[in-house]
Amino acid sequence: MTASTETPFKEKPLLEVRDFQVELITDAGIIRAVDSVSFSIHRGETVTIIGESGSGKSTTAMGILRLLPEDLAVLSGTVMIDGVDISADPKAINKVRGKTLALIPQDPMTALSPVHSIGNQLFEAIRIAGAASAKDKGALQARAIRLLEQVHIPTPEKQLKKYPHQLSGGMLQRVLIAIALASEPQLLVADEPTSALDVTVQGGILDLLLELQEQRGIGILMITHDLGVARLISDRIHVMKDGSFVESGEVQQIVDHPATEYTRDLLAAVPVLGPWDETPAAAPAAGRRSAGTHAAGTHAAGSSATGGSSATTTDPALTQTGASHE
Amino acid sequence: MTNYILKRLGQGLLTVFLTVSTVFILIRMAPGDPAVSYAGPLATSEQLAAVREQFGLDRPVLEQYWIFLQQLITGNLGQSYSFQAPAMQVVAERMPYTLTLAAAAILLTAVVAIPLGVWMSRRPDTGREFGVNVLTIAGQSMPDFWTGIMLLTGFAVLIPIFPASGFATWGGLVLPTITIAILQIALISRMVRREMTANFAAPYLTVARSRGVKNSVLTWRYAMGNSAIPVFTALGTRFAAMLNGVVVVEVVFAWPGVGSLIVRALETRDYPLIQATVLLTALLAVGVQLLIDLAYPLLDPRVRLGKAATA
Repeated sequence: MTASTETPFKEKPLLEVRDFQVELITDAGIIRAVDSVSFSIHRGETVTIIGESGSGKSTTAMGILRLLPEDLAVLSGTVMIDGVDISADPKAINKVRGKTLALIPQDPMTALSPVHSIGNQLFEAIRIAGAASAKDKGALQARAIRLLEQVHIPTPEKQLKKYPHQLSGGMLQRVLIAIALASEPQLLVADEPTSALDVTVQGGILDLLLELQEQRGIGILMITHDLGVARLISDRIHVMKDGSFVESGEVQQIVDHPATEYTRDLLAAVPVLGPWDETPAAAPAAGRRSAGTHAAGTHAAGSSATGGSSATTTDPALTQTGASHE
Repeated sequence: MTNYILKRLGQGLLTVFLTVSTVFILIRMAPGDPAVSYAGPLATSEQLAAVREQFGLDRPVLEQYWIFLQQLITGNLGQSYSFQAPAMQVVAERMPYTLTLAAAAILLTAVVAIPLGVWMSRRPDTGREFGVNVLTIAGQSMPDFWTGIMLLTGFAVLIPIFPASGFATWGGLVLPTITIAILQIALISRMVRREMTANFAAPYLTVARSRGVKNSVLTWRYAMGNSAIPVFTALGTRFAAMLNGVVVVEVVFAWPGVGSLIVRALETRDYPLIQATVLLTALLAVGVQLLIDLAYPLLDPRVRLGKAATA
């Protein structure tokens, strides 16, 4: 967890989004998928948009990257990426794609062309970034291997010759991160980067993202439905519902004092993990005890904010999430 | 891989054998008498009997089949009745013409249909795309004898720029090639369009776009690279089918290929010639199909490196 959130930013934000709006043209009419959303991301900062399926969080990310079909999505508002206004001129996005900006996709298994090798697709990204010229095969190869090493892929020179179907989902996501890093981006947009992966692999990918952020001071826009993921890596969280932010704030504030029922539901959806599982009997017991002491026993948020002691809390998930920041 | 090739070769030979055997029986069940065709309508019954004896047609069908099987092994299917030459040789002389026509037609199809399909996929729901779409449906609906006659009327009779028939000059190749290609272009371009549209919607393409890959590269390297496999298969299968003789077109343009040969052989009930034509074209079609299957691993690494390659 980075502590940079406390300090005020003097420099310009990496990503600044103001009154961003996406309208999708469907058979049933025009749907406002994203409704006047504003936020910003600074260097070294992770901002998470969290929400349930269909809340518009991925549409926001894809809209910012201008990856929505042009004939089906109408964008408005201002999007500035590293000082480049990409909302005014649709062609401006080409200046940042594969350069300052990179995407880490949702499902690594379908995110690489199945008929082109890993090396092939990695070399292409390196060429686009201008890091090595197309003619210098040796430099391309060296750079590709270095990138794969950075994402902790074993025997990188062997992986270059492989095709996507020969690698596991976790390995492919690492390859995709390596491809994203080819251009030394300053802003990563991670669209549910772990939701298609095994639980055991998810942590490794998140650790990798945090490590890279620490090394390079990359700004990350994280899209997730998983508050467990959001809590682990975010500085700030925007909770999205039906196309707009219902709640925004520092990660601790959102987790400890959720202001809306919706956020509380998201928090309740996080499974109880980690050391809290070691005393499986304690959590329900605490819940029951508190239910006994507090007749109503439902205003958990307020009590955990002041006390933080498990005895006064009704919701084990809240206890866990609150305590993990202490 | 060797096992796979041997297995496929075995399957192919069995297919060819069953085909020629079926044809052997069918032509003998069909009405008409080779002796009458050969000796003419004025021949006496003695003359007819002599002809039948000469061709071995007076023997029981099973015995004829036994002789045919022996001929199959030696590769000599006997004398053609009407050409008075070895049947296999007659067919072999015609084969290059059909091969030329089929190759020209498939080449024209690929050269026109692939860019056309890509163009359609990149401009969905525009007026021009709709127009081309209607044209491809028309192309699919036009029977080739009609297309052939229309082209003949237009470009050999009214505006005589191409020869009407035969293969005396390379110009003679133009009209029959176009006639065959129209239907194929209509089918293949719609297939290319469908494949390209599906690949343009695929996640890997969006991800590639997000890293700044240019549109032309997305189209040709990514979407086409992935569409190439089914399109290549379709082109190959159609080429193999054309080797069986593009009968109608060859007849309309008096093209000296196996298609017009088999029509003549059937008209004269020239059994050895029919059998030789069927044998050779079946062998070629099966051979081409096998080559397509063997080329698969070159196009698709999932076949080359997956389980399928060793199966």
